[in-house]
Amino acid sequence: MQPRKHEGTKKTKRSSFSCFRVFVVAFVLLAVVVRAGEPDLSVTPLARDGQVLVSFELSDGFTEEVRDAIQSGLPTTFSYDLELRHGTVTWFDRTLAAVTITATVRFDNLTRRYQMSRTLDGRVEDARPTEDQNAVRRWMTRFEHVPLSTTSTLEANGEYYVRVRAHTRPRNAWFFWPWDRGLVLGRAKFTFLP
Amino acid sequence: MPATVTSITPRRPSGPGRVPEPLPRRPFRDNPRLILAGIGALVALLVAILTVANRTPRLSPDFLTEFVLYALSAADLTMLVALVFVLARNIVKLIVERRRGRPFARFRAKLVALLLGMTLVPAVLVLAVGSELIRTSVDRWFNAPMDEILTSANQIAGDYYHERQLLVSDHSKRLARALSAADLASPDVRPIRDLLAPDVTLQRVQMVEVYRVGPATGSLPGLEPVVDVAAPGLPPGYSRAAADRLAAQALTGSSDTQSIEALGSSGDLLHAAAVIRSNDGRPTGVVVATDYLTGDLAVRSRRMTQAFEDYNQLRVLKRPLAGVYLSFFLMVTLLILVGATWMGLYLTKRITRPVQMLAAAAREIGAGRLDQRLEQQSDDEFGSLVEAFNTMAGELAASRRKVERSTVALEQKHVEVEIRRRYIETILERITTGVVSVDAVGTISTINGAAARLLSLDRAIVGQPARAVFDRADLQPLGALLAGAGRAKTEPAAEEIAIPREQQELHLAAVATALVADNGAPEGVVLVLDDVTPLIRAQKVAAWREVARRLAHEIKNPLTPIQLCAERLRRHFAGGPPAAKDLVEECAATIVGEVESLKGLVDEFSQFARMPAPRTVPTDLGQLVADTLALYKGIFSDVRVEQRAAPDVGLVRLDAEQIRRVIINLVDNAIEAMERRGQIVVEAERDRSNLVVRLVVADNGPGIPPAEREKLFLPYYSTKRRGSGLGLAIVRRIIAEHGGSIEVGDNVPRGTRFTIELPC
Repeated sequence: MQPRKHEGTKKTKRSSFSCFRVFVVAFVLLAVVVRAGEPDLSVTPLARDGQVLVSFELSDGFTEEVRDAIQSGLPTTFSYDLELRHGTVTWFDRTLAAVTITATVRFDNLTRRYQMSRTLDGRVEDARPTEDQNAVRRWMTRFEHVPLSTTSTLEANGEYYVRVRAHTRPRNAWFFWPWDRGLVLGRAKFTFLP
Repeated sequence: MPATVTSITPRRPSGPGRVPEPLPRRPFRDNPRLILAGIGALVALLVAILTVANRTPRLSPDFLTEFVLYALSAADLTMLVALVFVLARNIVKLIVERRRGRPFARFRAKLVALLLGMTLVPAVLVLAVGSELIRTSVDRWFNAPMDEILTSANQIAGDYYHERQLLVSDHSKRLARALSAADLASPDVRPIRDLLAPDVTLQRVQMVEVYRVGPATGSLPGLEPVVDVAAPGLPPGYSRAAADRLAAQALTGSSDTQSIEALGSSGDLLHAAAVIRSNDGRPTGVVVATDYLTGDLAVRSRRMTQAFEDYNQLRVLKRPLAGVYLSFFLMVTLLILVGATWMGLYLTKRITRPVQMLAAAAREIGAGRLDQRLEQQSDDEFGSLVEAFNTMAGELAASRRKVERSTVALEQKHVEVEIRRRYIETILERITTGVVSVDAVGTISTINGAAARLLSLDRAIVGQPARAVFDRADLQPLGALLAGAGRAKTEPAAEEIAIPREQQELHLAAVATALVADNGAPEGVVLVLDDVTPLIRAQKVAAWREVARRLAHEIKNPLTPIQLCAERLRRHFAGGPPAAKDLVEECAATIVGEVESLKGLVDEFSQFARMPAPRTVPTDLGQLVADTLALYKGIFSDVRVEQRAAPDVGLVRLDAEQIRRVIINLVDNAIEAMERRGQIVVEAERDRSNLVVRLVVADNGPGIPPAEREKLFLPYYSTKRRGSGLGLAIVRRIIAEHGGSIEVGDNVPRGTRFTIELPC
């Protein structure tokens, strides 16, 4: 009786373990799939001519929801918070410089033209119309050589990183918990070599 | 509604000069104004919520998603946390109160749970149904027909604009080709105007503007207006700025060569630019053709597009909008739940608090704090109960005050009686009159110090039978007196009784009085004893003085004639026969001698009878003793007189002559008693504790038997062969008239010791 009971118990345990493994694998796959569809922010810092320049691109950020919002005539803004930070082991990382850059587009359904604009720390840097939706996508998601800081504040051979946080307005927020659902983060390290 | 009882307040006396204390601040739950204000604020909040909800579609998307939704969500979370906190707090409180056995804990929990349950179920149901309704309603906003209509309308408007713009663009390009051969630099613009006029006249376009390439400004080529031709139907107020900008943009090679200039309600201007190139392909100018869309057309097109955009924006913002509405709904539900919970707690407190306060006040009163009162704030049943309680507490307090007053009066009387008793006891102790009381059963209940001293009794006899105590041989007369008084019960029985005491007689005036109560019941006998020995002694002295005075008067008068007769007989028989002469001489000498002796005796009697009152002055007693004893120096060779005067004797108020006589008398007596051989010591000292000066004359002679000591001070008592017996009587009289006393006793190891005490 005893061995049979023990065998039954072993079988039950093995079955439970298998179920657990299947569950874990399914969860990981689901996470990867969900993650694959999420927007990603690639950041490229560059120290040149005494300035820290940042190029970044938000891939998969121009979603169907965003396109619908733009096409509905809503002024749609992609806001990017750029921070130059220095990592410390013992305390919070130190922010050396920060800028906020926004790209806004408004579509006129009557003239079928997009009116685009960019601001840097609230200052209008550029504005132009277009009829090309790809141009709009590029306008909203791709930024080249955004000046973030001067290199005078950096130490030679110092390890730094640039963090970019992107979010859209208006937010397609959830009921009851609207906080920062659409936030996208990207970061890139670099060593300052003067 | 029950009475509102805010606190148990001890009642304080309110006097005319008392400053009234400020009323304690009433808590929120007992303050109708605050409650009304709170309800008003709640209603205002609900109205604000409804107002915001009504205006939600008109709010900007950014404001809606960045502020309103956040604010509502935060408010919802706050209220949810508050509700959970209130419920958790009350659950914990309930558990604690139940464990501590506090009253009304279960009742309060039940009432809160009932109200919450009554509210929670419908509120949650309404929330669920309402949420579904909102979701359904939002979905219903976006239906296919509406979608198609608005899309089509927008398509039509857009297409129309697009077509017109394409047309204008084609015209601009055609005109640019036509102007490629024209000399734009020529000051004569008529050929150009003539070329353009037909397009305007035929209303293919409403306006044409021609620019020529001028000198470059910076890196950009400059443009100079050459000519413009406009139709008369163009609305006033348009500017050339849009055309100039578009021309410059076209010249730079931009693909964006079209623009729409909105003139508001006047309509829109559709601009299209084309670069004029010479035959060799070099840009020489820019032509901008403009078409005009009337105000009506533009407005209607805008409306169609606006409707389409609004519709689509609603669809885009469907989720935040639904979130806002659901948040409103949830907020109202939470408000209702929080309100219900609070109301439940409030009602519970309103109901239980007066009863709890009554119970607490009853406990306080039970503990003896009768000044507890409850504040009555309503006229309902609880108010009546509070009033009845306060009345009861007041009556209890009044009764207690009466009892306390009686107790105080009783204690006061007890204290007075005690003082009086102690006073009487002190008097009894201090008086020289002896008092002995015997109770109804014949037991000695009181004996004062004087009685104990007079009767030589120990004070421990209190409580013993009087018959046994007074059965002693010397006290039997007193026992008989007590027994007689007890039997008589009416008149006091008085008797003078002589009791032997240390071989002397103590004369007591005893009065025994029966004590009878108001109802006639016997309460015992009180025996009062007075030492009348000094009185009797004084009476005897007075009698002897009278005798002495009469003797002196009766004896002295015949002595002189007797002496004269004897002298005459001697002179008569001086010449007679020798035998007769000798006989007469001898008889006359004997008569004269005896007469002289009788005269001396009579003088002493006379002096004793007429002794003057002492004239006391402060006198140095030590010096007086020394001066007196100096008289004996060298007279008696075998007698040693020694003085031992303490240095602190000092001045004593006395008659120096009389005291000198006392000392001489005592020293003379001592010398005689020692048969002129022995030692005499005279001591003088001050007894500060008894305020007396003590003078002692002691000898080491044979001493005086105790039986004779009392008689020593009587007149005419003498142990000497030749003495009048008045010496010590005079001594005692002098000392008595100085307010002092004289005692005689044995000297140690032998002899006699006279002790005189004089007040100082």
